[in-house]
Amino acid sequence: MTSWRLPQGGRIDRAKSIGFTFDDKAYSGHPGDTLASALLANGITLFGRSFKYHRPRGLLAAGSDEPNALVTIISGDVREPNVRATELEIYDGLVVRSQNRFPSLEYDFMAVNQLAGPLLSAGFYYKTFMGPAIGPLRSTRFWMFCERFIRRAAGLGKAGTAADPDRYERMNAFCDVLVVGSGPAGLIAAEAAAATGARIIIAEERPVAGGALLASSETIDGRPPAVWAREKAEALASLPNVRFLTRTSVWGYYDGNVLTAVEHVSDHKPNRTIGQPRQRHWVIRTGKTILATGAFERPIVFPGNDCPGVMLADAVRRFAMEYGVGTGKNVTFFTNNDSAYDAARTLALTGTNITAIIDVRSDVSGTCTNIAKAIGAELLVGYAVTGTHAGKSLSSVTVQHFNAQTGRLSGAPREIKTDCLGVSGGWSPAIHLASQAGGKPEWDEDLQAFLAPEPNQNWVVTGSAAGYMDTISVLSDAATKGSAKTRPVLPQVEAPMFDSSPAPIFEIEPAGKSQKAFVDFQHDVTASDIRLAYREGFHSVEHLKRYTTLGMATDQGKTSNVPGLAIMADVRGISIPAAGTTRFRAPFTPVSMGVIAGERYGDLRPHRLTPMHDWHIANGAKTYEAGLWHRPMIYRSHGETVEQAYTREARAVRESVGIVDVSTLGKIDIQGPDAAEFLDRIYTNMFSTLPVGKARYGLMLREDGIAFDDGTTWRLGETQFLMTTTTANAGPVMQHLEYYLDCVWPDLRVHLTSVTDVWAGAALSGPKSRAVLETCVTGTKVDNNALPFMGIVQGHIGDIPVMICRLSFSGELAYEIYSGAGHGTQVWEALIAAGKQFNIVPYGLEALGTLRIEKGHVTGAEIDGRTTAHDLHLDWMLSKKKPFIGSAMIDRAGLKNEHRLSLVGLISLDNQSINGGSHIVSDKAPREPADSFGHVTAACYSPALGKYVALALVKHGTSMIGKRVFATDLLRDKHGAVEIVSHHMFDKDGSRMHG
Amino acid sequence: MIIKCPYCGPRDVIEYTYQGDATRTRPDAASTDQNLWNAYIYDRTNPAKSHREFWLHSGGCRQHLIVTRDMSTHMISSVAFSRDNKNVGDQR
Amino acid sequence: MADLQSPLGAAYTPGNHGNAAGGAGVTLQERTNVSLVQVTAWSSTIPTVLTAIGSATGVIIQNKPGNGRVAGEKSVFGFAPGRFMVTSATPDIEQRLRAAISPELGTIVVLTHGRTVIRVSGSRVEWVLAKLFAIDFSAHAFPVGAGRATLHHDIHTLIQRINEETFDLYVFRTFARSFWKTLGHAAEEVGYRVE
Repeated sequence: MTSWRLPQGGRIDRAKSIGFTFDDKAYSGHPGDTLASALLANGITLFGRSFKYHRPRGLLAAGSDEPNALVTIISGDVREPNVRATELEIYDGLVVRSQNRFPSLEYDFMAVNQLAGPLLSAGFYYKTFMGPAIGPLRSTRFWMFCERFIRRAAGLGKAGTAADPDRYERMNAFCDVLVVGSGPAGLIAAEAAAATGARIIIAEERPVAGGALLASSETIDGRPPAVWAREKAEALASLPNVRFLTRTSVWGYYDGNVLTAVEHVSDHKPNRTIGQPRQRHWVIRTGKTILATGAFERPIVFPGNDCPGVMLADAVRRFAMEYGVGTGKNVTFFTNNDSAYDAARTLALTGTNITAIIDVRSDVSGTCTNIAKAIGAELLVGYAVTGTHAGKSLSSVTVQHFNAQTGRLSGAPREIKTDCLGVSGGWSPAIHLASQAGGKPEWDEDLQAFLAPEPNQNWVVTGSAAGYMDTISVLSDAATKGSAKTRPVLPQVEAPMFDSSPAPIFEIEPAGKSQKAFVDFQHDVTASDIRLAYREGFHSVEHLKRYTTLGMATDQGKTSNVPGLAIMADVRGISIPAAGTTRFRAPFTPVSMGVIAGERYGDLRPHRLTPMHDWHIANGAKTYEAGLWHRPMIYRSHGETVEQAYTREARAVRESVGIVDVSTLGKIDIQGPDAAEFLDRIYTNMFSTLPVGKARYGLMLREDGIAFDDGTTWRLGETQFLMTTTTANAGPVMQHLEYYLDCVWPDLRVHLTSVTDVWAGAALSGPKSRAVLETCVTGTKVDNNALPFMGIVQGHIGDIPVMICRLSFSGELAYEIYSGAGHGTQVWEALIAAGKQFNIVPYGLEALGTLRIEKGHVTGAEIDGRTTAHDLHLDWMLSKKKPFIGSAMIDRAGLKNEHRLSLVGLISLDNQSINGGSHIVSDKAPREPADSFGHVTAACYSPALGKYVALALVKHGTSMIGKRVFATDLLRDKHGAVEIVSHHMFDKDGSRMHG
Repeated sequence: MIIKCPYCGPRDVIEYTYQGDATRTRPDAASTDQNLWNAYIYDRTNPAKSHREFWLHSGGCRQHLIVTRDMSTHMISSVAFSRDNKNVGDQR
Repeated sequence: MADLQSPLGAAYTPGNHGNAAGGAGVTLQERTNVSLVQVTAWSSTIPTVLTAIGSATGVIIQNKPGNGRVAGEKSVFGFAPGRFMVTSATPDIEQRLRAAISPELGTIVVLTHGRTVIRVSGSRVEWVLAKLFAIDFSAHAFPVGAGRATLHHDIHTLIQRINEETFDLYVFRTFARSFWKTLGHAAEEVGYRVE
């Protein structure tokens, strides 16, 4: 094979040059070139080494169906592997490397794999590396051991490890009609649809519109088809109701007529403007989809068919017509259908010498014979190619008489000198998207191809994707399918008349020894691999695929599916449709992870910040994430450890006063005449009896009787309540309440509104907390009479209105002060200022946790979706006077079983910290496996007790109090003696908070 | 998948939260019939045909919808506000 | 009373940003000093409540999903069945609504502190918002005055179209800074100006 730049032709801009690097050598090309065409123009014909056997490979195709020419783009430390050279547009400074070769493309050590060819057949790795039945490397362990060595030998490009510096975006789009593809069918269908005034999106995979017309030598309305297509596309793009997206591959078809596409916004540019993404992920919701996706040419499977220089007939034509690149000085075609004659005719117009046309059919039409005669090509009807010969690339092919009826070869082999063989095995309509949408493809005997199924969503298939293989019928089909209301005027087409029906020949199989005949080029699957799979019992097409990996490479078998299926049908002695087909899956073409992630990379989630967040940061808070919230964990003073910091903070609360940000608590405004009744049904305890101006601690269960959430609910008016939930459960509780109002009790007149963000909350805790309030609150008294435990008052701090509720999570005298979120920092700072004389200390979640562990108050760690009110010693909250959610199920035997885990406290006996998550065991020394009878839910150092303590859920809970057991954490190598105590470890009678 | 909310119009499934089987009826709240409650809480059918489901439009109007959907094709034949539906809920 | 503190903090940086060399594609602005009141009607009282909102604000809207109107510094829009957002530059709007709407008609929740209103305007506004929200921003699908409730990732957002090229986004206050950064990021491509 020899390749060079033709003196004219193609849509490249010959006046401008672009410099790029391939395998460390500098080359130049022109704007409009792909990497494939530019390298061909520079005489490069070797593009990669094959997956398994490391065979030298050239180009097979010219577009998204190319299986061989995969390259890696290098940009500093960033590498993008497995990019198809046929789609990669060159730009100044582009650096590319070939793949799967060592040390170079020309000389590859691994090519010795070819000598082991018979060994590396289908299933070789699985059979060989299954491993012995016993021993340390038994069965799959052996495979896993060997796999890393195997992966090094076989494979595609390597992914980089550097972070991807590029920007990707997601874009949402809505339209009435989405047209996929802008070949002749797409253009005419879009024109028809656009004339109705509907909103149209046209998505074209390539940089320009035109599809098959770009390489056509027909004339449309007296002009070259490429010119007609450009004008048509420009006219469409200028319409206000049309969005024309080029370099945009539609790769997924989902339920509800939702399609996904990737737009290569700036992949072809050396530099990007500020904020410009590299690629954009379009999610398109459309009323109707017009699939004008064209067709892929199929190769014929024959011995030596992967030799560089053997290409698809259409690819030979496209390189010449679209890029002005010759791929052979003496080109030969090998075909089972008429389309190769059009390719030959077109190629001859570029001045290329056509040596011969080899046709497996016993008889061809007058049009075909006339073309052969006109271009001076020898016509070998009833012949087939049985081998290829090459030095570095193709130099000749061997042909023999072929009987299309019997598939038998006969007569003396003859050698034909040629440096490029264009092969056509017929055409497969690109029905990938329709198949993804859910339909089962249907076999068309005439075309020897699968056609799209009956639509199950609002889509139509048109043009060659629908099986129309000549320009005239493509245009007329598209005009009908574009719109039921309008019909565009069809252009005049001048074209030879061809028959679109190929002979049903997919493979040439000589008797006896021959070269390897490849079916799947990208995964190195040969025809004999398929026969082997059959002999070993893998008959179903799904098994065949998985055993041989046929069609499972990055090209998803665009060129290999039908030939592979045909060979399987042949060995099984059944028809192709009886052998079945495989469902196509998204993506149609490889899509980068970056573009699917869009903006959702790195820091995946939005940050949720309380109104006082900036104050916390400015005052030394170390934060951590609690759900989406960023909350202070500790306020670190100089040189403190985390434990020292929270111990200091918690001690300050017990001794004087501390302040903590509780704005994250879920808050739900509950209003309406039936609000109290609603809460009685939701909570286990009674709320209708709660007086206005008072709060009550409430517990809710799930319908199955398991504890769900707890919190206080405040009665602000006769028909208005403010419910607080745990931070983590704010969303789930809201949904729970909405569910019951919408679906179970629609007659209750209750409205719910999330007001979590409306209120800033500060909890003031400690013996001096009342004194702090007395210093700064106006408009209300806060003494024990005016503001008793669970009382609520309204007042002011400065000129800011506040609502104060006396309740306690720490077990100390404590208050929660709520103000409008926009005033949160001001109120917080006023409280800090007022507390200065009492040495007020801000405290974080660690101290908050410490205080509650000492008191045995539960949180999500204990309300873990498995525990009951009984397990948590909250059974006193279960009302006997009314039914509530979960009441019917709480008395089930399994939920009252004495073996259940229940809440206890633990005190370390060896003065060592206890790890959260440790198991409770009776073994003195660490042992694996151990019999666990409980686990630690939360642990801390307790400054109030001067000991390391924990809360735990333990079997037989309360009856174990006083027992000495062990908390073991084998993962973190910790094992220590603990004593089981009551979960109320501090101030059991609650005198401190009621004081 | 797209669900056509009767208030907000067609929206992506990402805006919705699946809230379970809409064919069951909650027993009377005062009932202590364990079999009835067991069936309500645990028994579910998974028919390969049309089925009624609750979906909360959590990313939109926050209404619970009853979606009638074919479980084998995902085709949605009707969407209605759960509140307008009189066949659910206990009978207190 | 003290001014409300903005949740945007240091993330609010006036000036031109992104690819603004050829002029800003959109302008971003936080609307301050606006009172937000949510009114929710019972299913049988929706027309009465709309009349009451009309008498309290002078802004009358129709009983249709997402219907709304903008009248100077006031606006009203529906975003869920029977649920309306009423905004005004004057804080007495709450009292006026409370006077007009009893608990028998519906409920009132003041959301001024709980929602942050970000105004996005400019020739590329639909393009930028389409990056963040999966709803149709074209004028025929989303007319002037209309309201929508939708989602960006985990951030629930109400949107009202103020005019052809302007939208107000109501986001939960505690998400506002994160959302503001995301919005700026999305607008870099077309260039944006922070007022």
